[in-house]
Amino acid sequence: MTTNGFSRRGVLGAGISVGALGVLSACGGGKGAGSATTKATGDGGKSGYNGPDVSLLFWNGFTGGDGAFMKKLVEQFNGEHKNIKVTMQVMQWSDYYTKLPNAVQAGKGPDIAVMHVDSVATNAARKIVQPLDDVAKALELSETDFAPVPWKAGIYKDVRYSIPLDVHPLGFFYNKDLMDKAGLDAEKPPTDLNSYMDALDKLKGKGIQGHWASPHPFTGGLSMQSLIKQFGGSLYSEDATKAVYNEEPAIKAMTWWVDLIKKGYSPAKVGQDADFLALQNGKTAFNWNGIWSINTLKEKSDLKWGVAPLPNIGGTKAAWAGSHQFVLPTRKQADANKDQASRVFLNWISQHSLEWAKGGQVPARNSVRESAEFKALNEQAALATQIDDLVFLPAVPGIGDAGAEFDKAFNEIVLGGKDIKATLDAAVGRANKILEANAKKYGA
Amino acid sequence: MKRRPSVLIYLALLFLAAVFVLPIAYMIITAFKTRVDSQTSPPRFLPRAWTTDSFTKLFNDPGSPVLTWLGNSVVVATIFAVLSVTICAMAGYAVARMEFPGRNAVFGTIIGMMFIPGFVFLMPNFELMSKLQWLDSYQALIFPGAASAFGLFFMRQFFLSLPKELEESARIDGAGPFRTFFSIMLPNARPAIMTLLVIQFLANWNDFIWPLYTLFSDDRLTLPVGLARLQGAYTIDYPVIMAGAAVAAIPVLILFIFLQRYIIQGVAASGLKG
Amino acid sequence: MTTNPTIATPPAATVPGAGRRRRRPRLAGNPMVPWLFMAPFLVLFATFTIAPAFYGLYISLHDWDFTLPGRPFVGLQNYKDLFDAESVTYKPFWNGMKNTFLFVLFSVPFLVTLPLLLAMLLHREFPGRTFFRATIFAPYVLGVSVIGVMWKYILDAQFGFLNRMLGAQINWTTEQPWAWISLVGITVWWTIGFNAIIYMAGLSDIPEEQYEAASLDGATTWRKFTHITLPGLRPVLIFILITTVLASANMFGQSYMVTNGGPSESTKTVLMVMTELGFGQSRAGAAAAASYILAICLGIVSVIQFWLMRDRDAAAERKKQKRAAKEFQARRRAEETNR
Repeated sequence: MTTNGFSRRGVLGAGISVGALGVLSACGGGKGAGSATTKATGDGGKSGYNGPDVSLLFWNGFTGGDGAFMKKLVEQFNGEHKNIKVTMQVMQWSDYYTKLPNAVQAGKGPDIAVMHVDSVATNAARKIVQPLDDVAKALELSETDFAPVPWKAGIYKDVRYSIPLDVHPLGFFYNKDLMDKAGLDAEKPPTDLNSYMDALDKLKGKGIQGHWASPHPFTGGLSMQSLIKQFGGSLYSEDATKAVYNEEPAIKAMTWWVDLIKKGYSPAKVGQDADFLALQNGKTAFNWNGIWSINTLKEKSDLKWGVAPLPNIGGTKAAWAGSHQFVLPTRKQADANKDQASRVFLNWISQHSLEWAKGGQVPARNSVRESAEFKALNEQAALATQIDDLVFLPAVPGIGDAGAEFDKAFNEIVLGGKDIKATLDAAVGRANKILEANAKKYGA
Repeated sequence: MKRRPSVLIYLALLFLAAVFVLPIAYMIITAFKTRVDSQTSPPRFLPRAWTTDSFTKLFNDPGSPVLTWLGNSVVVATIFAVLSVTICAMAGYAVARMEFPGRNAVFGTIIGMMFIPGFVFLMPNFELMSKLQWLDSYQALIFPGAASAFGLFFMRQFFLSLPKELEESARIDGAGPFRTFFSIMLPNARPAIMTLLVIQFLANWNDFIWPLYTLFSDDRLTLPVGLARLQGAYTIDYPVIMAGAAVAAIPVLILFIFLQRYIIQGVAASGLKG
Repeated sequence: MTTNPTIATPPAATVPGAGRRRRRPRLAGNPMVPWLFMAPFLVLFATFTIAPAFYGLYISLHDWDFTLPGRPFVGLQNYKDLFDAESVTYKPFWNGMKNTFLFVLFSVPFLVTLPLLLAMLLHREFPGRTFFRATIFAPYVLGVSVIGVMWKYILDAQFGFLNRMLGAQINWTTEQPWAWISLVGITVWWTIGFNAIIYMAGLSDIPEEQYEAASLDGATTWRKFTHITLPGLRPVLIFILITTVLASANMFGQSYMVTNGGPSESTKTVLMVMTELGFGQSRAGAAAAASYILAICLGIVSVIQFWLMRDRDAAAERKKQKRAAKEFQARRRAEETNR
């Protein structure tokens, strides 16, 4: 959920499978446009780049299969642009987020970077990334082109700092063989509380623990964020000044999750990624997991599986989602050539977004998401139908620090069997302190 | 008195040697496997087919320039060791062989600082590097650790043990203090200098936390940090990672074979632990 | 970067007692000379060791963000937070402290005893000794990241060689207690040669005659070990114990490379917490405060160890030992003349 969560997931998944590591595959979508210095009056890279040879450094955390895909695109770009050479530097997200601010501060940062949506505000506040308003204007990008939340999330204090690249929502993955075995219709996965519980009961009747309830941020924490929203609540207040996940909806959601274990639909103490492996190995029927899992499951040729929007457990449709955004790190020394060339790169990448979407993501850009070509990607398209019900973390600086408290409380409740209300109260207390300190620190 | 141990003890020792050598051998051998081979269960010790693909892949990846890293490591560790030994020898000599007001206070302070663990300096020195604009540079790896309290102490102990007559004869020849130091004392301190050189070289070569956080650019990394990034970037493409590890390991192993005596002597004499 | 709190003895060279009193007039002709010799060292030492030790204290009193210009003064808040269960830093810090403590607890016994056994096996001259000595020491010259990636592959649950050799299906790096077993095992494998070499140096300082005399006296191997070897090694033991505890308390690379602090942050050491706090979250003030607290803890631990080992009046013991050795020798000589 938080950027920390992502990185941890990325690392812990390493032993599990190659595909799973492609955790946060980017996919084209955003008619990405870059800009450069604050006063850039550029055309967003539309007119190309005619200057002397430049080389651009592009940082990201795509360490898995998606990294290879991004690399291929970069190579293609380099082939088509004789005077621009983009070099991609890949590191784990945790390293990336540690290094980027310090590197930029030291004047050693990259020219182009990709960032998770909940990190944009933090880095904008730190002046690590440049405003991109003028570029969005030059490229004639507007809110109507994008899914609303990822588009708005790029704005900090009325200034745009990022261009959305993709959306990666949580989805409901199911093992068709096990559903058949329990006498369920594998083509009609449950969609609401009653049908879901009914399916779990039938699976239980066959000795199958249908939904393994993970206590880890991946995937339990993401599921829980979805559920809290489904029960009508949220993690933070509207303006993100207060954490509110100790209120009624969160308690209901947590109770439902813990009951999965208590009622025998899930083993206790599910390990990191064990839920996803169990789905693959035919030990559990249902797993709520990120869209990036599609590629991993596709590699399993003998596995019969499907994917659908998350079932509506709490009464309102909702699913957690993250988003990758393109940013241009601040430059210590002005370089108009590099500024223009990086815009050309972003512009080009965005035009190749459909290629990118095949990697297994939902494009942020409406035109691509609604295109026939994208809809032909069945699995991705199935999850893209959730686009209006997605839950994102609020775009305030330092939200990741506060999110860590939620992850820990969730872990203590599910794994440690701690009292729900008391644990959440304590976590909310700490989170509020963080939010308050951040507000002061970033001068919000 | 030489005693030949029994066959049993030799067998035990050979087994132990295997425990220490085989993992390193396995690492180097894995670099010559294909990716598929390295991920086939059950694993085999030797490659099913030998290939240098992973080296080719590694050397052609602009994002992981291992040869540049190797060069960085060699340059930085060498400069560091030479600088450190030079200043430690000079200061150690002064403390050992000259009497001057404040000597004990200065020496005591330096030794006292030896008891502050290294991690205490991480944050302030990082800020210092940032102020000096030394982040992502060789300077950050060379200067902060060069004035080593341990190195000074080590050289002082050695100079204390040299006979006084050395300086006497130099004086009779009319040599000043600096000539005495550089042309008489230093050559006589060769064993200690070699030992400290090797110790400081290895310490810098293997340093991990500091370069991990002060270096950013791909072409600036040292081998240990580069290797960590390689592991991040290639996740479970083990042959490529092992190829990188082999590039990092083989030079020090060769160095070790030739300088074994100094290294072991240095450790035995000092107990440097990093 | 790391300063090593170590005590050294010089490599062999004769120590002449002569000439000491004549030193002063010779070289101190110009009072600036010694300072000129010390200047390069002192400049670097003052800049990168002494100043930062205090600068760190200053940082710890602020909400210090490397990437923000504003660094408000917060007094002792960073320290208070470390002891306030409701604060943000409390849990990660103490979880890291606990993990580091566990690692010290699990690793030190092995790191102190196994090298001693090795050293006793290897300290006498025999054909092939140099080879074996070099072999067990070889891993130590490799950096932690080489060791890390190497063992990560060997320990891999699916393609790892260890599981194949054991015919097991163990998640060495992603499940407890295996993760701790792996990290301790790797550390022992990596550093055993280091302590063994120091032990060997210590063993060679114990006069062979003591053993011979004891043999003549009919002492068992065990008795020789407890009455000659251990007392003879006392200073070396103190040194090894203290430096090994410190080294284990500084554990970072093994966890960083092999388990990345997992599973569920159960192997995330306090140094990892500190660097994440300072460099990852850019809360350098809190990280600096944590570093001082940890340094104080380690200082106390070292003093306690020193005191415990010294407790039995080592000086008296050494005297007693010397006397005993003399007695042995006298008796032996007497026996020889008698024969």
